[in-house]
Formats: sequence, structure tokens, C-alpha cells
Amino acid sequence: MTSYIVRRLLWGVVLLVLVSALTFLLFRVLPTGEPARLRAGRFASPKVIAEIRNDLGLNKPLIVQFWLYMKGIFLHLNLGYSYYSSASVRSLIADRLPATLSLTIGAAVIWLGAGITVGVISAVRRRSKLDRASMGWALALISAPEYWLGLIVLYLFAADIGKLKVFPGAGSYVGLTSDPWGWFTSLILPWLVLAATNAAIYARLIRGSMIEVMGEDYIRTARAKGLSERRVVLRHGLRSAINPVMTILGLDIGVLLGGAILVETVFDIPGIGRLNYDAITHSDFPIVQGTVLLAALFIIVANIVVDIAYAYLDPRVRFS
Amino acid sequence: MSAMMRRTAPARRRGFALALALGLSACGSSGSSTSPSPSSESISASGIQTPATEALSGGRRGGTLTVLNHEDFEHLDPGEAYFSVDYEASYATQRPLFSYEPNSVTPIPDMASGPAVISSDGKTITVHIRHGVHFSPPVNREVTSADVAYAIERGANPNVANPYFEAYFTSLEGSAKARGGPFPGITTPDSDTIVFHLTKPNAQIVLDALALPLSAPVPEAFAKKYDAKSPTEYGNYLVATGPYMFKSNGEGKVLGIGYQPGKSATLVRNPNWRSSTDFRPAYLDEIDIKIGGDTNVIGRQVLEGSELVQNDAVAKSSVQLAYEHFRSQLQISPGAGDHYIAVNNKRGPFANVNVRKAFWAALDRVAMGKARGGSLVTDVMTHFLFPEIPGFEAAGGLAGPKVDYDEHPEGDPAIAEKYMRMAGYPSGKYTGAQTLEVVGSTGDPSSEVAEIANNTLHSLGFKTKLSLVDTSVMYSKYCGVPAEQIDVCPNVGWGADFADGQAVLDPAFNGRNILPTGNNNWGQVDDPTINAAMDKAELIIGTQARANAWAAIDRELVADAAAIPSDWDKEAAIESKDVAGVGDLWNTGTWDYSFSSLK
Repeated sequence: MTSYIVRRLLWGVVLLVLVSALTFLLFRVLPTGEPARLRAGRFASPKVIAEIRNDLGLNKPLIVQFWLYMKGIFLHLNLGYSYYSSASVRSLIADRLPATLSLTIGAAVIWLGAGITVGVISAVRRRSKLDRASMGWALALISAPEYWLGLIVLYLFAADIGKLKVFPGAGSYVGLTSDPWGWFTSLILPWLVLAATNAAIYARLIRGSMIEVMGEDYIRTARAKGLSERRVVLRHGLRSAINPVMTILGLDIGVLLGGAILVETVFDIPGIGRLNYDAITHSDFPIVQGTVLLAALFIIVANIVVDIAYAYLDPRVRFS
Repeated sequence: MSAMMRRTAPARRRGFALALALGLSACGSSGSSTSPSPSSESISASGIQTPATEALSGGRRGGTLTVLNHEDFEHLDPGEAYFSVDYEASYATQRPLFSYEPNSVTPIPDMASGPAVISSDGKTITVHIRHGVHFSPPVNREVTSADVAYAIERGANPNVANPYFEAYFTSLEGSAKARGGPFPGITTPDSDTIVFHLTKPNAQIVLDALALPLSAPVPEAFAKKYDAKSPTEYGNYLVATGPYMFKSNGEGKVLGIGYQPGKSATLVRNPNWRSSTDFRPAYLDEIDIKIGGDTNVIGRQVLEGSELVQNDAVAKSSVQLAYEHFRSQLQISPGAGDHYIAVNNKRGPFANVNVRKAFWAALDRVAMGKARGGSLVTDVMTHFLFPEIPGFEAAGGLAGPKVDYDEHPEGDPAIAEKYMRMAGYPSGKYTGAQTLEVVGSTGDPSSEVAEIANNTLHSLGFKTKLSLVDTSVMYSKYCGVPAEQIDVCPNVGWGADFADGQAVLDPAFNGRNILPTGNNNWGQVDDPTINAAMDKAELIIGTQARANAWAAIDRELVADAAAIPSDWDKEAAIESKDVAGVGDLWNTGTWDYSFSSLK
């Protein structure tokens, strides 16, 4: 098991190096990606651009620039400097990360809880009215774009522009440490919107997986041994059926920690997603680069965690 | 005259286009076909505000105005600021030598104590500095002419890289070798006087440029250590001279205190500001700027909320909502720039003036305007100077010049065919072998506009290859690079740095401004007669004479069909019902924090 984890970690580092190299190259080959021009602004003269190129070390050979870039990232965690915010990318990301963590973790708890519950009930009561209604809703939620759903929810329930003024609306996010209750209430609508689509997908996934598992011989054996149906479903059925969900959960959380752009934009939550969105809008590539690396890191870490969890849940993985 | 000018309105439009791209897909409403469409003349009569008619005095003192902006600032440093959103804060916190009253496009003395004195040979400008203006904490001392000199000199510092220094200040003696320190073109004979020495008599354009934020005083002793960094960090440690300042700590640090990038900014009263030295009433106690969010949501929050304004590009759906239900909370500002189609005057079919006239005649400019939001926010463009620019009326006003290819804004195929025949195509359609390279920009409404232009070209018999790319790529890789030999750029546009014909026409149509890269004369217009007229007009001092000269050049450009006009822009701004917003006519109608108040 230990060598398995070490192997996964080493692969993670290799992947990070590759992603870093790729973002470095993209940054320099994109038509708008010339750092000196971006720093100088759209109207700068060739003379000013040349001076900035010199200042930024862009006249050095590409391989030297690459070495300095990689050294900066891996030895000093130096992700560069934003052209528009006049601040270090590292500090900007650190500033935005708590909001994205709050949004993602809260939403993940909701969608896992809702998705698993609905999926299991639908599988156990297959073809019942409840099953059809649940899966119908799931299909509708999967089809609903997050952005659209966010606007609808705001127009219905936001305290400022909603028809029913229930929850704080867009722009109400406050940090957990400054106002815990305000933090919680400001995230209720974004959590629900972000969780809705995923909960629907997970519910369908769990349902399908559960139906398959509940037809297995060992489930019949468990029932024949006289175990309660609840124990059969939760202990023997769900434990096996949840494995595929765990796999995509790692990916989903990793991707969202890299930024839930649409939800953060609609609800005006200053997270990584909005930072990235603004950076793309302004061609502020150091930030794009930094957030891409962050997203890659989260996805890699989340996958490693999932692999370990998978090994725990499914003994076959451990033994292989 | 260099070719670099601020594209103020397009910079604001960038956000607008983005907002539409998001908003329309979500709401499925507010398409162009349902857009309200009052004529420009009827705006005031319909209860909508315009900057020209808003009261500048009588506001209630006190209170906090909350601003919901989708877009972040680009730069807080007055030496770097070059964006309408930046200017909202710059002109509330900084005092350039000259600036504007909200309802005017004519500069008045601000940091200057009176009008500038131009020498009889037009090569020397003398400005006296106002007494009693102090820097905000931690500097606190009175402003001197040396502070203004340093502010302008640092524009040449590569770490500051002021975007318009080379456009307007290169005629200052010694500016070519300037790197941020003193140079012979700027002298300060005493602490109250600053003198600009020019190598050629183009004093008027230099004087106009002294109303830009670069001339706002910067204390060298305080800023120099920040200016030594690449890029400068002065924007993170600002001091103010205006009625407001960014909230800061004891060292003047703004970053993380009064400005959280991408999140918020807070303007508070400058304790060292004295109303007796300023024409701004500064009614508000504080301005809280919230950055980010969706423009559709922001629109509703502002219109239905309290003590709120939006001060960047308003979503089309919000403009429509305001027009239908909250008309008194809507302001429309003219003179926000233009959109036109650049056609390659140098090579290919459009080197022939009659083909250009045929394209002009065939184009449905009404449809182009509808794609951009209808006549509430656009006027059909009929020539090249735009409203609020001196010379606009003399060049034809809204109605435009009396030429047959401009007569029918919906497009006139018969006149188009006439000009195609005159160009040597007897059938009235293009019969050549060339496939036109058309490069436009992606997003709504740019792509729709590009499609309209492309279809018009097809109707004239052209085969085209239409490419839609990101706006910045369109300018930096295609339309701004003559070697790419692009035939048609349907999505270009212009906003002037100040109200002067030169600022509108010279960069885009003077052949001397064609550059190998970063070229703003996208059509490569290079008519020796027009070039000479522009060179002459540049040297004219005096409002009316300059206006007439640039109006005459405008008429020449129309006669030459140097480009194909599309629409003049008007910018919408919205406020809550309890806000007495005052918009800046000179800054695309953005709300002026120093004049706006709460009811």
C-alpha cells in the first residue's frame, strides 16, 4: 500500500512538471501571449516593449527562461506577477482560495448526500412513481445550465431582487472568519445551484450502479443469510455501488477547486473561478497560468486521495 | 503626431459584449428585434437623463454610494490609467492640470490656476499651478510645479509605460531620450509655474493632453522608490489631490486596504482637500465599489435597489428593463465613440474608391445598429467625426453629408451596383478572382455585425473568407498588421481621448501613422492630400478654426470613402431611484463620484 501511494505521488509530481511546461509554452506561443506586450499595454510603442522585454529577461534563450520559470515555481512558489492587479499571482490566489474552498466543499457535501440518497431509493424502488419522479427531476437538473439556474434562483429567492426575499443574493459573500452566519447564508443559494447538476448526475449513477450490484449473487446470499434489507442495501450494496462515484467525485472536486467560474460569476463570489475569468478577459496570462497549475494540482491530489479511498473501499485494489 | 490614442469606449464595450454573450444566452430575451428604439433627439423628451442636462449643484451632502461594477480597474496609478473605469476613480482622487465639468467636453483649469498661455510661435506652453492644494496623507504637503513635472516625466519611465506619452508628448524637447527623469521639454522656473517647450508648434494637442490623468501631480520623494520597480508599484501606494482618496494605511498603502483586486475598492474623503480650491462639490462621504458579478444581476440590483449605481458597461437586458420600467433611472450619453468597417485602401478591390462607395451604399447600417442594441444606444454613422467632437455639425451632423451612397442607411443595392459599374464591373457585381480576407471578432454583437458585413460583400459578388477571433487577436495579429494583407475588418472602432478632431481622425486615417505592427490606421488610408491637410490642421490653435479644419478633412474622407461607417455609440448608465447621479459627458457618461449625490 505504501509503495502504491509513493508511486502515485511521484506520478503526480511528473504530471505537475508537464503541466507547468505546457503552460509556459502556451504563454509564449499564443498570439496575444507576448509578456512584454501585455505588460506594456495595447498602445505601447515598440521602444517601450523592447525595454520591458529586456527588464523581464525575455531576450534570454527560451531554455534559460524555462529553467528560471520552473525554478521560480518549484523552489520559491513564485507564480509571477499580474499585469492588471499589480500584485503577485500567489497572493491573489491565496486571497481567493478560501471562497472557492467554501463553495466547493459545501456543494460537494450537498450533492453527495442528495445524490446518494435519491439514487439508492430510486434503485431500491425501481420503476415506482418515486423512482420515475426522481429520475425525471434529475434529467431536468442535468439539462439546466448552471448559469441559467443561478439567475433563476436569484430572481426567485434573493433578498434584493427575488420574488420571495429569502436568502442573501449576489455579492453578499463574506469570509467565514469575519462573519460565520453571514458566510453560511450567503452560500446557501450558490451551494444549491452548484450541487443541483452534480446531485442529479450522482443520483443517476448510483441508481444504475446499485441496480447492477443488487442483482449480484452475494446480495442474494446476504439476504438468504437473513440480514435485514437495510443492512443488505447499505452495507453490501451501496459499499460496492459507490466505487464509480468515488472516481468521478475526485475529478469533480478537483475541477471545481480550480474554479467554478459560472457560479462564482453569477453570485459574485470572489473565488478562483472569477479570478481566472477576469484574467482571461484581460489576457492576464500569469494568473491564467497560476490557476491552471492550481487546478492541475487539485485534480492530481484529489485523484490520489480517491485512489487511496478506492483501495480502502474495494479490497481487490489493495491486494492487486 | 503618433498614432496611439485611447480606445475609451471600445474598452468599455469589451465588457458590454461580454455581458451580452453571457446574458442573452441565459435570459433568452432582449434580442435586437425587441429593443426599444427612440430617436436620439427624443431621448431627453422621453424622461431619460443625459449628462448635458443634469444639475451640477444642489445635491445632498453625505452618505455612501455603492457602485456595482462587473469590471475591475486596470490601473489606479494616474500615470498608467487609460480606461473609462480607471478614470472614474482617477478624476475623483487626482487633479490633472486641466479637467472637465461633467456636462462638458471642454477642459477647464483644475490643478492649473487659470488658462494656459501659449506663445505666439505655438512652441511654448506656460501653466501656473493653483495654490492651496495638498497631497493626501502620508505626504500632506502643498503641491508644487515640480510634482506636476515629475508626474509627466515618469510617463516616459518604462516601468510606468504611460500608454499615451508617445502620442502626445513626443514634441516636448528631449522626450525621445527621456526615461523617467527630467528632460529639457519641461521646466519649472518657480514652484508655481511649469513650462512646456515644444520642437514644433503643436501646442493645442499637447494642451488637450494635459487634461489626461498623467498631468496629475505625483510627489517624487514618495513615488520614486515605487517607480524603480518593474512594473511600478506606485499604484499600490497612492496619494491623492482630489476630494477623495483610496482608503489607505499610514504609509499610503492602498493594495489590500482600499483596493482588493477583483473584489472591492473604497474611496473616502481626502482630509487635506479644500473645497475652496476646487470646482467639484464632492457631496458623498464615501464610495464603496464592489467589483465582479454578472451584469444582468447587477442591472436588477441597481434598478430595484437603493443607493446603488452601475458604473461600467450595462447589459442590454438591463438597458431594456430600465427603458421600460425605470426610465428616470436611465442615462444615455452620446459621443461614446464609433464602429466602422476598415477596408484595405492599399491593395485588392478596395483600393478602388468606387468599390468602397459601393460597399458603403450596400451596407445595412440600421441592421448593424440593431445588432448593437438598437437606436437607444446607437446612431447610424454617416461620417467620421462623432457627436460631441468639435466639427461634427460642420461635417454634416447626424444627417451626414449629401452623397448618394450615404442616402439610404438600410442599404441601396441600385446605388451599390452603380458604383460597381463605375469601378469597372459592368454587371454591377464583382467578377474578379480574389477571395477577400475578412477578420472580425468573436462574441455578441461583434460576430453578428461581422456576418452582416460579410453578407453585404456576398451581395456585391465577392467571395470571402471570414475569420472570427478574439478582439485583442484581431487587432494585434491581423487588422493592426499591414503585412497580413487583410481586406476587410468589420469590427473596428474608436473612442477619442478628448474632444478634438485630431484625436479622432489622425490616428486612423493619416498615412504617416501606418505602422508595421500595432497599426491603428487599419484601412491603410494614405491619401497625400488628406495627410497634408491633417499635418496643417494639427498646428491650428483655437477651437473654431481647428473644428472647421477637421470637419473639412472629415468631408474629404467621406468623399474618399476611406472606410465604411457603421454606428456612433451612445452609452447607457443606470442608478437606483434614490441616487442623483451625474454622468460625465467626456467619459462616455460614467457617473462622476465628485458630483453625484444621494437624494
